[in-house]
Amino acid sequence: MTSSLQNTNRIDALVRATRLMYRMSKARPEPRQSELLYYQMLIRYYERLLKARENGDFVAAHTVFFPSEVLYAMDIAPMHLETTSWMTALFLGEYADLLAAGAELGLASEICSPHRGLAGAFSIGALPKPDVVLWSNMVCDNTAKSGELLMKITGCPGHFLDHPFQDSSEEIAYFTDELKEMVAFLEDHSGRKMDWDRLSLVVGNMDKQLEILRSIHELRKAIPSPFHPQGFLELLTVDYLFAGHPEATEYLETLRQELEEAIAQGKGAVAKERYRLMTLFLPPMYLIGFLEKMSQEFGAVSVAEPFFCQWGDGKLDPKRPLESVALKSYMIPEMNMYAPMGDRAITKIRTAAQEFRIDGAIYYADVGCRHTCATIKLFKDILDDMDIPVLTLDCDVVDPTITSQEEIRGKLEGFFELLDDR
Amino acid sequence: MKQDLIGRFREVNQTFPRTREIIDFKNNGGMVFGWFCTYVPEEIIHAAGGLPIRIVGHSTETELEDGTAYFYVNNCSFSRSCLQLGLRHEYDFLDGIVGGSTCDGARRLFDLWRIYIQTPFHCIMTVPRKYTDRAHDLYNSQVKHFKDLLEEFVDLPITDEALLKSIALFNESRELLRSLYDLRRLDSPPISGAEIMEILNASFRMPKELFNQHLQELLHELQQSDGGRPKPLRIMLVGSVLTNPQFVKSIEDLGAIVVCDELCTSTRYWSDLVVLGNGLPPLQALSRRYLNNFPCARMYPSTERFDRIVALAKAFGVHGVISETIRYCVPYAHDLPLLADHLKQEGLPMLTLDVEHGTPGSGQIQTRVQAFFEMLEARTL
Repeated sequence: MTSSLQNTNRIDALVRATRLMYRMSKARPEPRQSELLYYQMLIRYYERLLKARENGDFVAAHTVFFPSEVLYAMDIAPMHLETTSWMTALFLGEYADLLAAGAELGLASEICSPHRGLAGAFSIGALPKPDVVLWSNMVCDNTAKSGELLMKITGCPGHFLDHPFQDSSEEIAYFTDELKEMVAFLEDHSGRKMDWDRLSLVVGNMDKQLEILRSIHELRKAIPSPFHPQGFLELLTVDYLFAGHPEATEYLETLRQELEEAIAQGKGAVAKERYRLMTLFLPPMYLIGFLEKMSQEFGAVSVAEPFFCQWGDGKLDPKRPLESVALKSYMIPEMNMYAPMGDRAITKIRTAAQEFRIDGAIYYADVGCRHTCATIKLFKDILDDMDIPVLTLDCDVVDPTITSQEEIRGKLEGFFELLDDR
Repeated sequence: MKQDLIGRFREVNQTFPRTREIIDFKNNGGMVFGWFCTYVPEEIIHAAGGLPIRIVGHSTETELEDGTAYFYVNNCSFSRSCLQLGLRHEYDFLDGIVGGSTCDGARRLFDLWRIYIQTPFHCIMTVPRKYTDRAHDLYNSQVKHFKDLLEEFVDLPITDEALLKSIALFNESRELLRSLYDLRRLDSPPISGAEIMEILNASFRMPKELFNQHLQELLHELQQSDGGRPKPLRIMLVGSVLTNPQFVKSIEDLGAIVVCDELCTSTRYWSDLVVLGNGLPPLQALSRRYLNNFPCARMYPSTERFDRIVALAKAFGVHGVISETIRYCVPYAHDLPLLADHLKQEGLPMLTLDVEHGTPGSGQIQTRVQAFFEMLEARTL
C-alpha cells in the first residue's frame, strides 16, 4: 500500500520547528522557564526519532494513551502517533498532502483526520518506518481500528492492547494481563528485556507527576488565572510523550513554581482577565497561535478542561508497577469520555464550573470525533442549568479546510459580546 | 401463498415498534427489554420471562432532527435514528435497555438513552475486542453481571433450566434461518434478498416462538417451490446495519440476486449456534457463543471477519460483493481498504457504498451498482 504523493520527512521538519520555537521563546524578554524545558523535551524526543536508525534504537509507533511508561522502562524509542499528527499541523501547518495520501488508501472522510493523515504519512514515507506498531482502543474506534492498517502499510509487526470499557477489578486485572502480554511481545521483537526496577522507578516518577498535576489543577482556580490561555495543551503533551520521565517531573515542578509565584504576585496570564472559560475537547491545532492572540486581546483564558486536566484519584505503587500502569489508565482525564457517561463525568463538569468560576464554555466540535460530539447537547444542558453559556465551534483538529480563522474569530467575538451582555 | 407467509413478517415490520405481539405481551404483564447490539445475549432476557427486541431506527431514510440535536451530525444515522424513535416515545413500552461497549455510536446511544429517555432498567456490558481465553473470562463475568442485575430487577431467579430452554428456542431459530439461507445457495433461489430482509427484520422484533412457527411454514412452502429463471449475477452484501428491504430490491431490480449477506442485521445476528456440552454451564456457553459469533468489524484481528466473508462468498457462489457502510460508521470504514485487498486476493470484486441508514437506494447508488454489474458481467461472460 503506497501512494503516488511526494514525501517530505516530517520528523526532520519537526526537529527544526521545535528548535525554532525554543529559540523564539528564549528570545522573549521574560522567557517562561517551563516553556523552555517543554521545547527542549520536544527537541530531544524528535531528535531521538530522527537518529533512531543510526543509533540502533528500537522504535515503537503507538496510539494515544498507550502506556509509554512501559516503553521508557525498556529503553524503546516511542513515536506517539496522534501527537506527531498534531505537531505536524501545529508547527508545520502542512497537512493537506497527508490527508490526500490517506484518501488515496481508501480511507473515508469520516475517519478522524489525524488517523487518515497518519496512514497517509506512512504510505508516502513522510514518517519513518517504525519497528513495531502498538495500538489500543483507548479512547475511540479510530484508535482501535488504526493499527492493522498501519501494520499493512509499514510492513511492521504489531500488537493490540485491549482496554476494557469499565473499571471493575476484573477489568483492571484483564488490562494488567494485556500489558504483560505486550511486554512479552516487545521483548520478543526488540531483543530487550523489561527492566522491572526501572519500571518501578518510572511508576514512582509518574505518581509524583500525578501529584503535581493535581496541584497545578488546583492552582488554576486562582483569579486571575496564572496559566497561559491554551497552556493545557502543553500539559497534555507532556503526559502523552513523557509520562514517568524525570524531565517531565522537572517541567511540572517548574511550572507549579511559576504558577505559585504568579499567584503570589497577583499576576494573570493575560493583561486583563475578563472571561474564564471551560474548554471541551481540543481546539484546532493549526489555529493555536491565533487563539492565543485572541485570548490576550479579549482577556479570555481557558481555566478548566475537565476531560483533559482533571486526573482521577488514587496512588500508584512502584512495588506493583504493571498494575499501577493499568490503574493509571483509568485515572487519565479523557477516560471519563470513554467510560459510561455517568454521574462521575457529569459531576466533574458541574464541580469544575463552580470551583473555577466559569463564565462560559467552548466546545470544539471536531467533525471527526464522534464520541465527544455526542456529548455536546448533554454538556450544554448541564451548563445551561447553571446559567453558563456554551459556544459550539465546528472544526477539525488538524484539517484547516473545515473552518477558517475568520469564521472562528467571528463566532468567538459574538460569544464574548454575549458574555459581556450578561 | 409464499407472499402471504412473507406478509406476516412484513406486517410486524410495518407496525414496529408498536406491534400487536409486543402490545399483547405487555398487556399480559410481560416485560419488554430492548437491546442495542448483537453482543447482547437475548436468551438471558427470555429466560427471565421477558421479551427481547432489538432497538432499531426508522427503516426508511427520515429527517433526524431530534436524533441529530442530541447526538450531533457526525454520529451514524443508525444511532441517531434509534435515539429519535426513543425521544419520540415510540419505545415507551420498554422496561429496560441492554447494550455493549461495541462501538462509539452504540455506547453513546446507550448513554443518551439512559439519561434522556430513562427506561427503568439499564445495563451496559464491556465487550472485549479479542477472542483469547482471558477475553472470554472477562466477557463471561460481564454476562453474569447482566444476569444478576436482571434477576434483581424482575425479582426472579434465572435458572439454568430456563436458560437451557431459551437457548434451545433461539438455536432453533438459528437453524431455521440456516435452512432458509441454504435455499439461497441454489442456482435459482426461491426467495429474493429483499424478501429475506423482511424475515430477518421480523426475527428481532417479535417473540421467537411465533417467529419460528411462521418461518417453519414459509420454509415448507419454499422447499416445494420453483425458483424460476436464474439471475445472471449473484451478489453478497457486507457492512454494518441495513434494514430497508427496498435498498436490496433496488439492487436486485438491476438484474441480480442478493444470495448472502454479512450485516449486523443478518448473518452476524443469527449465524452461530450456542454449543452446549462438555459440562459447560449454560451461561458460559452463551457468553462463548456471543463473543465468538461472526465478528463485527470492531473485533481484532480483522482477518477473522474477512476470512468468514470469503468463505460465505465462495459457499454461495457470488460474483461480486457490495459493501454498504453507514456514514460515520468508523469500524467498517476503517476495514474497507484491508477488506478490499483481502477480497481482491480471492478474485472477488467489491463495490463500496457510503449510505445513510434507511436509504432505499437512490438514483446515484443505482448508477454505481449498474456500472458495477456491467463490470461483473464483462468478467463472467
